[in-house]
Amino acid sequence: MKYDIRYKPSFATLFLTLQPGEQIFAEAGAMASMSGKLSMNTTFFGGLIPGLLKAFLGGESLFLNEFSNKTQSPQEIVLTQSNIGDITQIQLNGREICLQPGAYIAHTKGTKVELQWAGFASWFAGEGLFKLKLSGKGMIFFGAYGGLSAVEVQDSFVVDNGHLVAYEPGIKMNIGLSGGMLGSITSGEGFINRLEGHGKIYLQSRSIDGLVRFLRPKLR
Amino acid sequence: MKLELLHQPDSAIAKFHMDPQEELLAEAGAMVAMSSHINVSTTLRKGKGGGVLGGLKRMVAGESLFISVFRSGSSPAEIYLAPKLMGDILPYQLSGTELVIQSTSYLASTPGVQVDLGFTGFKSLFSGESIFWLTANGSGLVMLNAFGSIYEIDVDGEYVVDTGHIVAFERTLDYSITKANKSWAGAFFGGEGFVCQFRGRGKVFCQTHNPGAFGRQVGGKLPPRA
Repeated sequence: MKYDIRYKPSFATLFLTLQPGEQIFAEAGAMASMSGKLSMNTTFFGGLIPGLLKAFLGGESLFLNEFSNKTQSPQEIVLTQSNIGDITQIQLNGREICLQPGAYIAHTKGTKVELQWAGFASWFAGEGLFKLKLSGKGMIFFGAYGGLSAVEVQDSFVVDNGHLVAYEPGIKMNIGLSGGMLGSITSGEGFINRLEGHGKIYLQSRSIDGLVRFLRPKLR
Repeated sequence: MKLELLHQPDSAIAKFHMDPQEELLAEAGAMVAMSSHINVSTTLRKGKGGGVLGGLKRMVAGESLFISVFRSGSSPAEIYLAPKLMGDILPYQLSGTELVIQSTSYLASTPGVQVDLGFTGFKSLFSGESIFWLTANGSGLVMLNAFGSIYEIDVDGEYVVDTGHIVAFERTLDYSITKANKSWAGAFFGGEGFVCQFRGRGKVFCQTHNPGAFGRQVGGKLPPRA
């Protein structure tokens, strides 16, 4: 499989070439355009019940589309996200990564996708009660609103709500105030996410909640 | 007339240098700045996709039925045109072949191009938003805008584009609006909704991002309209 992420970072879009016999799994709605010769098949995201759970609690669509190349020649497909921002790729090779709701775009064969309880701390942080855990040997693609920065966390690190996109499972979340009750309210930082453990995290440079907070008072 | 495109691709704006006695047509509301002696008038779009009801529906869908006409008059002039959303602008040289334009992607055109209201499209099963089309004929320049970047596909055979990602396509192509999935359940749940299936030879211009999907993502978190 050949892939190319074009129009980085603002309008990152994934251009994939599927060789004969290959397939890609993508979030419902991620397909922008594709060769008419590719076959598309809709499946539940990890079975019916987990799929339902994901849809209502994980913020992801209930369904997953499988695009497969059943022809004898390479075929192209273009995948994107609803956010404007960057897209990145990870080759799992046995590693695991947790994705926040909405970040997932696509994965290749050999990837295991599970819905996991993220805990109330995560929910308070505005990140949802559930998270997607991806493991196995496949390749995964995920996106962000804004730019993506990878940070290697050692021991502990603090992240503002709504900016954490992905993290390795060795990271634990603890919700806290950024500095006393009054300080939290006045600084506008509100709740913060105190991460503990070792592993890589991915941050997005903007947050949809931030945009919503900006727009909300302007509506009438 | 000379065209300069600035700030591509994320914040593209088109700057036209007009010679005396030249004319430019643009989507109402697209003018950002211009020489003060430019004469501006407004006309109504023509075409078969109009009618009172069609017109109302189009206005609800956010499309303006009005076109602004800019005339340079006796001396050279400058005008800046830009769309509302972040994204790129594509100049398309029209010569004979009809171009079908997704109505929100139309930015401007030169007088040799006749832009008409096309067929009234269809309503998306999921979002309830309607997609409308314009047709461009004649010869001259058409300016198209997009949410995100624009990529061009030279179709030879069969190609599928999600309706939310179409900017414009050449009418040499055969097209039909179908569900993306073979089964109705798959089409309904698969999230791809309707797609445009192209057949034959010609160019399709696609936008990397779907304005409706982004709008729903942000809009879903805003309080309901009073």
